[in-house]
Amino acid sequence: MTQDVEMKDKENPSNSLSSPFTPSTLHHLKEIASLMETGAHAREVRRIMRAVRLTMALRRKLKAPVLSAFLNFALAPGSEAHSRLLSYLPKEDEHEMEVDTASSGAPAPAKHPLPELEIYCYLLVLIFLIDKKRYNEAKACSSASIARLKNMNRRTVDVLAARLYFYYSLCYELTGDLAEIRGNLLALHRIATLRHDELGQETLLNLLLRNYLHYNLYDQAEKLRSKAPRFEAHSNQQFCRYLFYLGKIRTIQLEYTDAKESLLQAARKAPVAALGFRVQCNKWAIIVRLLLGEIPERTVFMQKGMEKALRPYFELTNAVRIGDLELFKSVAEKFSSTFSSDRTNNLIVRLRHNVIRTGLRNISISYSRISLADVAKKLRLDSANPVADAESIVSKAIRDGAIDATVDHANGWMVSKETGDIYSTNEPQLAFNSRIAFCLNMHNEAVRALRFPPNSHKEKESAEKRRERQQQEQELAKHIAEEDDDEF
Amino acid sequence: MDPKLTEVSQQFDRFKAAMTRKDYNTCTQLLSQLKVLLTGFRSLPPLFEDTPNAIRELTLARDIYEHAVLLSVKVEDQDAFERDFFQLKPYYTDAGKRLPPSPNEYMILGLNLLRLLVQNRIAEFHTELELLSSTALENPCIKHAVELEQSFMEGAYNRVLSAKQNVPNETYGYFMDLLAKTVRDEIAGCSEKAYDYLSIKDAGQMLLFTSDQELLEYVKEEHPEWEMKDGFVFFQKAKDSAPCKEIPSLQLINQTLSYARELERIV
Repeated sequence: MTQDVEMKDKENPSNSLSSPFTPSTLHHLKEIASLMETGAHAREVRRIMRAVRLTMALRRKLKAPVLSAFLNFALAPGSEAHSRLLSYLPKEDEHEMEVDTASSGAPAPAKHPLPELEIYCYLLVLIFLIDKKRYNEAKACSSASIARLKNMNRRTVDVLAARLYFYYSLCYELTGDLAEIRGNLLALHRIATLRHDELGQETLLNLLLRNYLHYNLYDQAEKLRSKAPRFEAHSNQQFCRYLFYLGKIRTIQLEYTDAKESLLQAARKAPVAALGFRVQCNKWAIIVRLLLGEIPERTVFMQKGMEKALRPYFELTNAVRIGDLELFKSVAEKFSSTFSSDRTNNLIVRLRHNVIRTGLRNISISYSRISLADVAKKLRLDSANPVADAESIVSKAIRDGAIDATVDHANGWMVSKETGDIYSTNEPQLAFNSRIAFCLNMHNEAVRALRFPPNSHKEKESAEKRRERQQQEQELAKHIAEEDDDEF
Repeated sequence: MDPKLTEVSQQFDRFKAAMTRKDYNTCTQLLSQLKVLLTGFRSLPPLFEDTPNAIRELTLARDIYEHAVLLSVKVEDQDAFERDFFQLKPYYTDAGKRLPPSPNEYMILGLNLLRLLVQNRIAEFHTELELLSSTALENPCIKHAVELEQSFMEGAYNRVLSAKQNVPNETYGYFMDLLAKTVRDEIAGCSEKAYDYLSIKDAGQMLLFTSDQELLEYVKEEHPEWEMKDGFVFFQKAKDSAPCKEIPSLQLINQTLSYARELERIV
């Protein structure tokens, strides 16, 4: 049965492709549609995923006449979705469109379209509208599709739905009305949870976090994040985003160690093509590392394509490294517009205290004994009572473990302690242990992540099947790269 | 005018009169009645229904909650402050665009920041800070709190204490007093790590005590491990300086065994 449909679909293009517009795009679209149909009948989610991936490769070639031809092919003419979707497309080439309806409308099977196909058409039109910057139509189209989705409960639709959610939120963000859809997204997340649609949950959770963070609502974001169900990530892209948002939330809430971990992981996991995303991750990661008292290596700032964007952060790092308050202030002022557009201004204000710490550490290493008045002078503390300030700052640094020293109040000086031989302690053993544990853990995770084809040990696959599978794998590899490109 | 609205505003006038008389007991009673009455309005959060009187009701409710926050400062009740502040917050964030801005907004937000600082809830402090616009950060009330936090993190406690003299609003006094207490605890914590010993006179000065007697009582209550001898305070006892020379054999054995097990699994 499935094969029949496929055959018929494949014949269609050759008949109808005499029309004046690019034949290959429509042809591809129809192939994707047939792939989706087989996927839907066999309930194979993977096929649908592949179809979506193939679509993204076509994204730049989409044009209004091609789309309307495809709509005529895939949806029953006169159905609600058909007329609604057509109304979103620009009308300038009406004439061509009619020609096309005449040629391809006739051979199209007059059957009730699959819900997958209908949703897929919504997705196509939506992507087209966003690419053409017709945001108001895109908003209307996405809202209609979301309304339709709420009444559909099919696992094979989930993949498409997740994509639709993403574009739904994107077009509202582009017009600056993110707050409007927050309630709707929450409702969708609830529905996805009830239906065990994990990909949908993942996508929606990220969209919600993005929504909250857009308005700096870190409190709400953290509350949602900590209460939402967690499971193993289905999509690498969504997982990257989640890590990035998590890192941001933790940075604001002063959990720098955890924040650093998630931000670095997000930067590392992100695909190479997603340059903007990686730059953002790096910016935040640099600040978090500075706040932790670490100095990021120079190579971080020299990554390909990022030198220019990370320049302000490089100078900032330099100021912190030297421990010079004046330089730090001038850098912060010089790039204040960059920092405020990155929304890192408040974090940089927090850094002031790290600059003092680094300066103090340098002093403590260079001198075995120094008067507090000199400390104040070197740190350039401009206050009414510099010695008293220096004394309390030094004592706080000692308590926090930043420097190893004692203060002699009667004489007004700071005495640095001799640094002991680290190899006489358990420190090296602990470091060794944590590294070994990391490697072993990595190996175990890698083993666990290996995926085996189902039933491969039971039945030997036929030659034909193997060929099909290999072809699929090749395509998968090819398109994963393209998908990365598209998603960010 | 809506009779319900008139009733609430009359009640609120009585409340304000009691507040100026400093009759805080009456205030608290009137306030709980007011809060019950406010639940009758459907235009208030969380419903936000668009009733004809919505704007007037929202403004009145905001005014009431602002006074409630101030009242809680006057009666020095931090829990009530937190409760009332959270009830007030939606009026600033969610209804902010529909109402004319309140003159007290920044003052109250600054108070809240100060409260978080006093309670040493720094993470929440920064979360709140992110919500403020750059114009809000320029406001003296907010700026005051932000600068306090910076000095506090740096360890410049003198600056924190001197800030008490130039508070932007008289209601800030209560929290500034509390802050002094927090600062004292911090100084005590730092001192015991930074100094080997201090003369009792210096210690008293640093911890902001006017007499030695107060210091003695404080030490007895908060830091019984400090030793007072010959006019000096010795912190040495609080430090466990002796480094552990022993080899943690059991732990080492466990680790080595686990490496062996993991390696075996790989090979």
